[in-house]
Amino acid sequence: MSGRTLTIVLLLAPALASAGVRPGYGGTVRIGVPVAPHLAPGAPTAADAILERATTLPLLDPDAAGSLAPGALAEVPSPEAGARAFRLRLRPGLVDASGRPLGAEDVAARLAALARDPTSPDGWIALPLLGADALASGRAPVLAGVQVLSPTELLVSLAFPLPDFPWLLATAPAALRDAGPFVLAARRPGTSSPGDPIALSRNDRTRRGRPFADALELVPVDPRAAVRLLEQRKVDLVLRPEATGGRPGPALLAATATVAAVNAARLGAGAEAVRRALASLDRAELARRFVRGPAEPLASLAALAGAAAPPLSPAPGWAEPPAPARIVLLADSSVPDQRALAERLQVKLFDRGLRAQVDLVDAARARTRLASGDYDVALVAVLLRSPRPALAAGQLAFAARGPDAGRRAMAALAGLEGERAAAAADRLARELDLFPLVTSGLRASLGPALEGFAPHADGTFDPGDLWLVAGGTP
Amino acid sequence: MRPALLALLALLSLALLAAAPARATTSIDAVARDLAREVGAPFEGRRALLLEVDARAPALAAPLATALEAALSAAGYAVTPWHGGGDAEGRARASGQDWLLRVRAGLVPGLPSPREAGLGRGLVPGQRDLAAVGELIPAWSSFFLQRRPDARAIPPRVVQARTAADPETFLLAREAPAPGAPFASVRTLVRLPGRVLALAIGEAGEPGRLAIVAVTPDAVLVLSPTGERLAERSAELGALRPVRDPFATVAVGDFGGGRIALFRAGAARGEVLALRGRALERAGDLDAAPLCAGEAGLLFGELEPGTGVLRDKLGRLVDAAATPRSRRTLYGAACAPRGGPVAHAVLGTDLRVELLGPDLRPVAAPAPLASGSGFALADLDGDGTVELVASSPDPSQPERIRVLAPLSGAAPVLETPPVAGAILAGAAGDLTGDGVDDALLAAVAPDGGHTDLLLVTTDPREVR
Repeated sequence: MSGRTLTIVLLLAPALASAGVRPGYGGTVRIGVPVAPHLAPGAPTAADAILERATTLPLLDPDAAGSLAPGALAEVPSPEAGARAFRLRLRPGLVDASGRPLGAEDVAARLAALARDPTSPDGWIALPLLGADALASGRAPVLAGVQVLSPTELLVSLAFPLPDFPWLLATAPAALRDAGPFVLAARRPGTSSPGDPIALSRNDRTRRGRPFADALELVPVDPRAAVRLLEQRKVDLVLRPEATGGRPGPALLAATATVAAVNAARLGAGAEAVRRALASLDRAELARRFVRGPAEPLASLAALAGAAAPPLSPAPGWAEPPAPARIVLLADSSVPDQRALAERLQVKLFDRGLRAQVDLVDAARARTRLASGDYDVALVAVLLRSPRPALAAGQLAFAARGPDAGRRAMAALAGLEGERAAAAADRLARELDLFPLVTSGLRASLGPALEGFAPHADGTFDPGDLWLVAGGTP
Repeated sequence: MRPALLALLALLSLALLAAAPARATTSIDAVARDLAREVGAPFEGRRALLLEVDARAPALAAPLATALEAALSAAGYAVTPWHGGGDAEGRARASGQDWLLRVRAGLVPGLPSPREAGLGRGLVPGQRDLAAVGELIPAWSSFFLQRRPDARAIPPRVVQARTAADPETFLLAREAPAPGAPFASVRTLVRLPGRVLALAIGEAGEPGRLAIVAVTPDAVLVLSPTGERLAERSAELGALRPVRDPFATVAVGDFGGGRIALFRAGAARGEVLALRGRALERAGDLDAAPLCAGEAGLLFGELEPGTGVLRDKLGRLVDAAATPRSRRTLYGAACAPRGGPVAHAVLGTDLRVELLGPDLRPVAAPAPLASGSGFALADLDGDGTVELVASSPDPSQPERIRVLAPLSGAAPVLETPPVAGAILAGAAGDLTGDGVDDALLAAVAPDGGHTDLLLVTTDPREVR
């Protein structure tokens, strides 16, 4: 066996239990989540990410070791033309849950759909594609950067060099719809309420073969219910900020990153005082005291895991800048911990002589007001989709400042890693008036019967790999 | 009846008797006869011979002495057995013997036949020979050496013989366990790259030569009982339907065109392989999953489509129309190499082990039995009843090997400290050549990068 083949086999093999029990099939795996999935376009929650991963087929699979493995694509594409073009080759014989063949046209359609809606939180994925801006603005009818060469091959051209592009293909929004290990079970209108479990049934046609569990349920649970249900074996896995008993699993770090965006256009001369106040924040304290669950200071827009987060440096100047009379601090109430963070910022701003009014609004209104500039300082929380610095920075910049900033961030950090990426991200943050604050994740609490939980480098996991020892029977 | 006719019939009977095959001799008889031939006819009419036989396994010494006494007597010697130990040569001289024949015997690695040796073959993996080495020492007093009474009249010489050991010899050559030794020992026989999915032990090629067959996601390997690689064949992966967790079944037995049969999860059909020299060749297809083979017979099953588990469907023959015994699914099945009242066992995905007799009917166990995915049935102590060699049924706990006497219901006769890796497959057969079964378990490293084949044996040479 070649080394590459062996590597791929290892990457795709489900995690073995400590003792020698091979995965069994059958049963329903129940996952407790903080809030029910939205099941609609919008800022995705952790539950939405699980649901998306369960029902889609990734083009590429990130693994726990930080590498990419082929998914729907037959190979990880290599950069061509100075990382401005990538040739994607799909595996033959792919079908969705209904048995419909999937091919290059479906990948092209997916990328075009992402490019067509610039207001979608996932729109950043299409930013590097040549012609994405023209398609989004209606100046072009088709996505110029995507050429379908054959039923299983397409050529993607980029607007700027981006060696990290394969990692974009590994994100869940780029994955092929309705081809994952599970399909959403049909709900009869009027028979369910928002707090009901989301039920999914297995899809035997998915590329990696029949999932181990027959069914999957996403159950919204509060902390107390999570502990009780885990003890009673009514849920098998709980993903919440806090531990809820059972066996501790690996933490899903860097799931949500929060930055503060300063609206200099509205603050005018008062912007500098706000910047100085934000720069004086102790991000380590924010992460430790005001975020539930596993959290770290967000060292930079590159969102490098484990990177040191030195104190933010205010712009040089000996004179105390003029302070605005009162500022509006905008935050998304649907994202966990945003209220606590906003209120902490309110206190810190007050200490610096700035009076702030916290406006907690729902996700849709937060996005609208952010886009229209109706804020002085905004907390922007993003469910990070990729561990690559260029893509994390691009996603954060897109969410806070729009498509042009997202493109600029990706181009500035393209191919960079480590300290070079962090330095470029620092420059970018100053240019975009963004203050990286914290990154927070979820803790996994596993029931006694659950096996196969092995998060990838991007914080996702394949729900098809989850299985129950002895079918889940005690 | 006429006398001529009677005479003709008598002659015919004699001819038939002469043509009838001679009764097969045992290894002990054969090696005794060969050694006696090496000793040759009595020299100068000196027939009195004191015979001393020693073997590392005491049970082997007496039958070999008897066989040698018979063979030497047939060659014209007057044989006096000597069991006294001490100074046998002094005893021979004192008692007026002409010769002292001092013989040491035991099992040694097998040598090829003279024909095979001519082809340049070395030791034969999997074969054990019964070897006897003797010193033929003259014991009479020499007229010419009267001033030196201890001097030997003529130079002594060494004689030796060997032959392939038969099962009876394995039994006799088995050493007694050392006092205080554990029931069995566990050691790594060999490390293989990748994940071993299935194991089988049996006569994969030439009769009488045991081999290990290991199936990995990419290949089928044939190994000697000591772990040397004898043959390998790459898997034909293109035709496999995707299965989330790779799995295979394998058995060694009589499958028509070949003696190795395997079935990979996701494959449309199983395959039969034939070991020819160092080549492993495809010899046919199979419409069932070969689960295992033992003296009670072959056992076939069926995989649940699209999965790495089996339906609860067992049979001696390939029978697509057979109905499953129940709706439960199985991780695997094991066959006792030498049959017995418990000839098979199946492991459900509920981790319960069910014992089955030679007729595939359940055999009641006094206590519930459980195992992880890797397990084997082996008569480790040679008492005629199998032991269950099990892995840990609790995936949250470290892996351990347990040896259970399933019909006694008592506590494990052996439970090892934690072992590295996850035991996912097992098989049984006499790998050490001591005449009783050993178990072989495949412990897969946590990252799946390699598999250690762990030998579980009660061979006293291993158990200390």
